[in-house]
Amino acid sequence: MEGPSGDITVTSTNRKCSAVTGSARKIKDNAADWHNLLLRWERLSDKGFTIAGNIVNLRLSGSQSDQQQQVVEPQSPPSAPSRLAGETAELQDECCKLKDVLDKMVVVLMKMERLVASQRGVLDLEEFQFGPEGRKVPLFHSWTTKQFEDLSCVLLDVFRQELQLKQTILQELAHTVSSDLCMVYLSCWLHQPFIPPKTRMMLEALLLETGHRPL
Amino acid sequence: MSKPALLSLQQALRKSFQSLENNQKVWNRVLSECSPLMVSLGNLAEQWRALSNVQLSNTPLRDFPDLEERLRFKLLQATDTVLGKLNDKISALQSVRDATSNQVSAVFQLYEQNTDSLDLLTVTERSATAPSAADMLEWLQDAERYYRQQFLRRKTLLQMLRAEDLSLLESTPMRWKSMETPSAEDRITDTLCKVSFFMESQ
Repeated sequence: MEGPSGDITVTSTNRKCSAVTGSARKIKDNAADWHNLLLRWERLSDKGFTIAGNIVNLRLSGSQSDQQQQVVEPQSPPSAPSRLAGETAELQDECCKLKDVLDKMVVVLMKMERLVASQRGVLDLEEFQFGPEGRKVPLFHSWTTKQFEDLSCVLLDVFRQELQLKQTILQELAHTVSSDLCMVYLSCWLHQPFIPPKTRMMLEALLLETGHRPL
Repeated sequence: MSKPALLSLQQALRKSFQSLENNQKVWNRVLSECSPLMVSLGNLAEQWRALSNVQLSNTPLRDFPDLEERLRFKLLQATDTVLGKLNDKISALQSVRDATSNQVSAVFQLYEQNTDSLDLLTVTERSATAPSAADMLEWLQDAERYYRQQFLRRKTLLQMLRAEDLSLLESTPMRWKSMETPSAEDRITDTLCKVSFFMESQ
């Protein structure tokens, strides 16, 4: 059929703005998943911090009142064991809640591992299609497919380390006698020392590259 | 003959009190915004103190590489952020100090230019709705002095702060709070009450 000739030129911008398919689709979806997983991690971390704070308060107030009890009334009155039992139950409850939070963070990490595997798959496919140097024209603006994989690995590593730290904190928090060490555990949980500030920037760069954020 | 000079002085006084009313609101708002920042500073100081009291190599955290260094970095970052915000608040307080000082010096300049026409009787004369010019000038000067001294004390306190100086960091929230002078604050509020009729008249 005849139509006006040559007034629609296929530019690289057009190609990117059209329906993203195949590898590019996968990478773009992965980027959105990274964003959502990081958000989920932050929410769980915040929730965990509140619970951890409760644990520390219970632990420290419990040990304080124990000492007071011994000083004031050397012969233990009948109410003491039940009060102690109540506090222990509450402490155990909070520890369970923290364990729940941590279990959910483990799930987040597993999803991150899947993203890295998926990224690896995209890279392998590209190497198969185009040879070891990969495709000549980048899928989005400028990043090579390898760069997406590298970034995913870095992010996974960061969160894996942070998770290990949080798991240690979970194990130790309720048994720690020293209030200073309790405070250090809380600091570690809150400030997440293994997640460097550039993590946020890396995520933003990923979202910019894949078109989730306007340039 | 003293009438025009007195009228222009009174106009200037009205303008000054209007400005004082606005500045008082700004000052109080900024100070209340400093309270949560001081709480954060206290929390951070506690965290620094706890970290310095603990030997991480003797704890279950020993297996984490560079943990202490990384945590210190994060604490430093958090402390810097709070100090930065406090500096912004100090700048806002400075604006209030500057505005008040400028207003009051302008009024006093006007008074001094017209001392020939403004004799003792005129400036000490008061009515049911208007305090004497002398009183009003004095109140303005008191308010200006209060903001000037408060600003200097608070600024000096914050300028001495260093994230590395733990004991200074720990004592800052208490020292900040001790600078509150409710009596002086109340005097400014009283002043504004006393001139309220004067402000409305023309």
